Amino acid sequence: MLAPLSTAVIVVSVGVLLVAAVYALLDRLVNDGLLAALALLEVALIVQAFVGVARIGQLPAERATFAAYLFSLPFITPFTTLLAIKEKTRWAMVTIGVGAFAVAVMTVRLDQIWGARG
Amino acid sequence: MHVAEPTAPDHTATGPGRVIVALYAVMALAATGRSSVQIAEYFSRAPLAYVLSAVAALIYLVATVAIIRGGWRAVRIATVSCAIELAGVLFIGVLSYAVPRLFPDKTVWSHFGSGYGYVPLVLPILGLWWLRRFRTARAPAAGPG
Repeated sequence: MLAPLSTAVIVVSVGVLLVAAVYALLDRLVNDGLLAALALLEVALIVQAFVGVARIGQLPAERATFAAYLFSLPFITPFTTLLAIKEKTRWAMVTIGVGAFAVAVMTVRLDQIWGARG
Repeated sequence: MHVAEPTAPDHTATGPGRVIVALYAVMALAATGRSSVQIAEYFSRAPLAYVLSAVAALIYLVATVAIIRGGWRAVRIATVSCAIELAGVLFIGVLSYAVPRLFPDKTVWSHFGSGYGYVPLVLPILGLWWLRRFRTARAPAAGPG
């Protein structure tokens, strides 16, 4: 099933977004805890890509769009995390937040396509 | 001790610049994904819209790389990309409302980027604002300050 996995992705990415907001307010930088959460999110996104591709046959339409979302998603957090690690101001947390927000929005879209199947 | 305020940014991809790079990279990814799917799967449905999506994707990519690279030449390239983007999103935005039959399917820029939370409209303005300080501060002929 894709639904529990994508729900988990949305929950973790919103969690990362909230932690980034709190860290930005406290003027804290990327630490091990946040990195662990981001790693967890990345693992979930990669698993989601494999599971999604394996089950793509169940979709009656929009398969290409679905696949594009599946493959794009795992690239976002590593890139924004790399940018944020090198930043020593609170802009690091805004960068993390942009990545987490994009992942959440795209996963919601992915879920909508999946939910629309016959 | 580090200072949280962006006092003297030394590179286009530091401080707020990192957020702009992140936003540009996400838009580049989104526009590339959308345009390649559209062109590969159903090009004939709305050729103009899909070609525009591809053009937008390319411009986002150029802007992303230019802002990451920095340097006065990259700043120029990034500034031109942002200007084209702003012109594109405004022109296509107006056109998509005025002549909707030209856009049977959505593009990144149609309806002023409403499908992307208006990020395509706001981002070039942010980009141009951010790049301004580097254009004035870093032009090789202008000297320091």
